[in-house]
Amino acid sequence: MDFVQRKTADSAVDHFLKEAAEKEVPLVWDRYEGSLPQCGFCETGLNCRDCLQGPCISHPFRDQNKVGICGKDKDILGVHSFVRLVVQGVMGYLDQLADFAKGVEAGKGSPKRKQEAIKIIKDVRGMWGDGDTEVMRKFPKALIDGWKATGVYPDGIASALFKVSQKLDGGVGNVEETLLWAFKGALMGCTAQMLQGRLKASVFGDTAPTNVEVNLGVFPKDTPVILLYGHFSPLLKQKIADRAKGKKIKVMGVCTDPFIPPYSFTPVTNYGSQEIPLMTGAVDLIVAGDQCVNPSLTELAKAWKVEIVSTEILNRGDLDTFAKEIVEKAQEAFKARGEVSRDIPSIKESAVMGFSVKDIDVNKVVKAVADGKIKGIAILAGCNNVKFTQDHEIVSLARELLKKDVFCISEGCASVGLAKYGLLNPKQRDASCGKGLSALLSSLGKNVPAVVDLGSCENSGVTDFLISMASAGKKPIKEFPMVACFPEANRTKAVARATWTVAMGIPTYFWPFLPVTGSQKTIEALGRFCEEKFGARLHVVTQKMEYKEKAELLIKSLGRT
Amino acid sequence: MKVIKVDPEKCTQCHTCDLWCGIEIGSEVKELNDAIHEKPQPVPRVHVEGNNFPLHCRHCEVAPCIDACPNGTMRRDPGTGLVYVNEPTCIACWMCVMVCPFGIIAPSPLIHVAVKCDRCRNMEYPICVDVCPTKALVLEEREEGTTWYGYAPKRSY
Repeated sequence: MDFVQRKTADSAVDHFLKEAAEKEVPLVWDRYEGSLPQCGFCETGLNCRDCLQGPCISHPFRDQNKVGICGKDKDILGVHSFVRLVVQGVMGYLDQLADFAKGVEAGKGSPKRKQEAIKIIKDVRGMWGDGDTEVMRKFPKALIDGWKATGVYPDGIASALFKVSQKLDGGVGNVEETLLWAFKGALMGCTAQMLQGRLKASVFGDTAPTNVEVNLGVFPKDTPVILLYGHFSPLLKQKIADRAKGKKIKVMGVCTDPFIPPYSFTPVTNYGSQEIPLMTGAVDLIVAGDQCVNPSLTELAKAWKVEIVSTEILNRGDLDTFAKEIVEKAQEAFKARGEVSRDIPSIKESAVMGFSVKDIDVNKVVKAVADGKIKGIAILAGCNNVKFTQDHEIVSLARELLKKDVFCISEGCASVGLAKYGLLNPKQRDASCGKGLSALLSSLGKNVPAVVDLGSCENSGVTDFLISMASAGKKPIKEFPMVACFPEANRTKAVARATWTVAMGIPTYFWPFLPVTGSQKTIEALGRFCEEKFGARLHVVTQKMEYKEKAELLIKSLGRT
Repeated sequence: MKVIKVDPEKCTQCHTCDLWCGIEIGSEVKELNDAIHEKPQPVPRVHVEGNNFPLHCRHCEVAPCIDACPNGTMRRDPGTGLVYVNEPTCIACWMCVMVCPFGIIAPSPLIHVAVKCDRCRNMEYPICVDVCPTKALVLEEREEGTTWYGYAPKRSY
């Protein structure tokens, strides 16, 4: 089967596609084409590998063989497919937090605000234990009471993660019941993300809006470059930056939190093109975590003579020594890689990133919504998915929303994608926004771009923003005209993220559609049932749509209250 | 005449061929996620059963279904040699269903028409061959006068 679609909207990436084709270097798009057609049973969630009697599939077109060997029918298979994604996503957030908190507890960082850090560590312990955390009390009381009444309030890792994961093993729970367990797990992930963000602020200090440059043009021509990939302990990142300081070594990042105050790691590119930085020849050493890192980097790195250091190894040892080794390796690699030519496209864009809720006057936003100056608020999240032209969906969707006076906030990799096209550049703000939105943004500050980046997915900028909206507007989150959209979602963490967004009462659109489509009941439960319980739907849209139609859908959802 | 050759050594019974047959040939919408919810349910023309062997119409050189059909609904395309059902004239007597040595002709669950594989005769390439992930299905020229299955009835029965 052929894959006929423009690969990327990013001209810096496009520059390297031809070279890759000539050198016969397989990239993500080639591997995707090679994997077509993808398994239809997996795509629709009608498969199961949870025991060794299987694997089972439920044929959607046949009357026989509709249940798995253990008796899971189509609907249970569909909802289990959802639970599986949520559990894995939540574990991603828990892993990030656990790694960081363990380091802080062991005294590896020297927290800027020590008392606060100690308190947060106590909260982390509470989260593992009985789920009694200070941080969850930040949510409006009505919302918490609602969660408790439904039973989805995360009460400790045993019930909010272990038990959720065992839903996949069996039991007689129906679709709705099982779905609620997934929400419980997702809210656990939400707690972890909030704690991670707060712990980061207490250890390193608050992040302020920072001017950065993004895209491949940021690479230097004549200095060693360490490229950080994916998520790993912020303490290690800080130590690497400490060691690199004053040594003329640039530390940059891909799919990683760009801000560890006082350092900032320039986001070179985003998820979809994470292989491309290697092709510039300007990378001397890669330091990679596990989350959000493509295993394909190994082969590519060999071709460009780059060493990859994995941070998630057994017996990592002392972080200081590890960081020292990394920096030394980078210096040596730079000398040894003299003959590798650097092909750096001159494409880069400046952006202001790393806002947090205290940098934005939420009252003004609430007032603008109440006065009808803006149509509502859209949360843009998610990274890239090879099933869509890279960045095309999210960027054109954002442009469409901005034109129609929808205040857009973004998080994580979505911000990097938007930044590459100038949507995070304050100078280009008024060109892309409608009148009402433009007035609101300029009242928020001179430095506020069209789309406001609320930090990476390692901190809970968006959740904090929602909480302060609720307290400023004195009404529940679900009564604001808000919508969340994952136009090019990819990771399981995004599924968990979307799930807890729905739990807060914000209608959420997820593209590509979740692998639950084989079960009509699961689709209905994510829609109608969630609407009853939380006041919002997780939309599963299977029809193919242009970005304009998607934007219309989103705007229609804003006016639901 | 080109027909579909099956290599049971390569077949993993993944059911990809019959899933896609259901979408591409059986459904109205031609998209997996919408075809699933289509009523009446799409009927795939390929069956994967038991022994690593997707069952298609073999387009027998001497086809019992054509002989059994009382009103010429079951026909052979003179150009390609492929056997197909001329749906408008089918009277649902199910004679073809009874005589097919491979059991691949089925009554449609809703309308009174026999349903069978026509090797995607109106398409450039059969969909099952196109999607087979292990290449267990290939389109090959069949030599005149030979059969792969060995027991196609002679015309003189």
